[in-house]
Amino acid sequence: MNTLQRRFFDFFAPGARRISFGLALSVVCFLFAFPVLWLILTSLRPQSGVYYVYRGLDFTLDSFAQVFANERLVRAFFNSSVIATAATIFSILVTVSSGYMLSRFRGPIASGWFGAIYALRCVPFVTWVLPLYFVEQRWGLYDSYLGLLLPHIAVHICFFSWLMKGFFDGIDPSMEQAALIDGCTRWGAFLRVAVPSAMPAISALAVLSWLFSWNEFLFALILTGQHTPVITVVMAQFVSEMGMQWNLMAATAVLALVPAFLLTLFGQKYVIRGLKI
Amino acid sequence: MKLKNTWRKTFGEQQRFMLMLIAPAVTLLILFQAVPIFVGGSASFRDWMLYNPKKTWVGFSQYASVLTDPAFLQIVLPNTFVFMFSSVAISLVIGLALALTLNRPFRGQKLVQTILLMPLMVAPVIAAIMVRWMFNDEFGIVNVVLEALGGEGQPWLVQRWSAFSVIVLTDVWLWTPWFTLLLLAGLQSLPKEPFEAAAIDGTTAWRVFRYLTLPMLRPVIIVCIVIRSIDAFRTFDTVWALTGGGPARETELLSIYAYENAFVFLDFAKGSAAAIIGALIILVVGLALYRILDHVRKMS
Repeated sequence: MNTLQRRFFDFFAPGARRISFGLALSVVCFLFAFPVLWLILTSLRPQSGVYYVYRGLDFTLDSFAQVFANERLVRAFFNSSVIATAATIFSILVTVSSGYMLSRFRGPIASGWFGAIYALRCVPFVTWVLPLYFVEQRWGLYDSYLGLLLPHIAVHICFFSWLMKGFFDGIDPSMEQAALIDGCTRWGAFLRVAVPSAMPAISALAVLSWLFSWNEFLFALILTGQHTPVITVVMAQFVSEMGMQWNLMAATAVLALVPAFLLTLFGQKYVIRGLKI
Repeated sequence: MKLKNTWRKTFGEQQRFMLMLIAPAVTLLILFQAVPIFVGGSASFRDWMLYNPKKTWVGFSQYASVLTDPAFLQIVLPNTFVFMFSSVAISLVIGLALALTLNRPFRGQKLVQTILLMPLMVAPVIAAIMVRWMFNDEFGIVNVVLEALGGEGQPWLVQRWSAFSVIVLTDVWLWTPWFTLLLLAGLQSLPKEPFEAAAIDGTTAWRVFRYLTLPMLRPVIIVCIVIRSIDAFRTFDTVWALTGGGPARETELLSIYAYENAFVFLDFAKGSAAAIIGALIILVVGLALYRILDHVRKMS
């Protein structure tokens, strides 16, 4: 639209462009939000109400009560939160130092490491998680917390080292050099100077890491059995086991969304600030 | 003590510090990625049924059986590539459009941003279950709305291409916000001056986008495409929870194919061979993408 056309429109229909912009945006927002809204609505329906085409105004919290009464589901929620939290803490401990190394040093060690994490990130999960099943059985880690936690950390290393490198690239190294001249050790310069100034990035990573681990499915499907069920796997099993009880499915899904939703809501500004790559 | 001495002699002070920084990460990657890849690679040359692990060496016959499997050639490979390209391309275009919209201030911008970024927090499994319910052929809202509008309800998930489109749609819904987020962060870190100059010159919005925004944003866009393509190639959970690879294995992607062979048909060796083939394909694609990435980094 050129300037002349725009003036023409503004003259005959003042605000038309703003209104159509608002309308288009509302439609897009609605389409994006609809699946989640529909899920919430389904979770509030009584068992029988799910199947009516015109579903009326019957609402109930029964499905949620049933979810809380189901021991396996409660355990799965507990396991998921333990794994996600522990994986977040440990992946950050491991990747901050690795990203720092990538950002501050050159040479064969740094470029070799960068190549290795790039190559390993490309490898499809299924290529290493299938045999990991046997490896973990050999080591006695199969179906234990540790056996799920360690691969979670390993999978974060590649992507997060890369992101951390980007963050440290954006931080001026002259402060650390000054600390070194003042007699600080390398570790001191890293822990007392570089890490505190990378805190925004670290919080962004924490949010992402927690979400990834909470939502992760394939590792858990292969590496866990009876002892450490997590919520994503239990839900996928539900679809085939109790296929038709959509109100229960929806209630479980909504409960699985709540922690992730709260985290995104409060963590959003850190992520946007931290992700400038 | 002796070990400590050699360690000190071989590496300088700075190199020791570098190695110490990455030591935990390296250990974890070796134990939980390199070792399994090696084990899987070795298994792919053996006769290894889960119910009868003979583990005898059979050379390349597992690879041959994967590469001559009509299901692999005619369904799995095309599915995987079509899925990768369509999902990445569609979510990139929508994500870029949304990022450009969110980059200028308007009333309610924060609210819109929160809504648009919402799918980011949804687990692919949950999204798949949600979509499965919406596209249910009897009670799903999509068919109900279609019929109310005078159309005809479709059995979406029991025909190959409609099921495949639903999978792509779910993936686009899941990952568009990811593009929006990264591109928005990229847009906000662009310098302001060129845009101000263009505004003074009265340049049209399209020309600003074409000749200013797009070239300056190119590095970020390419990083996004690289990361997302590699991830889309190995998608598992969306398809698994949405169609399970069905109807009749027609929407299987590479990961599903490898998993099914190993844990459903209990042929661990064939599953491993398929997984290794997948890794080799993505290695080639990844190397090509890495070249482009490196090229762009040098240009900027």
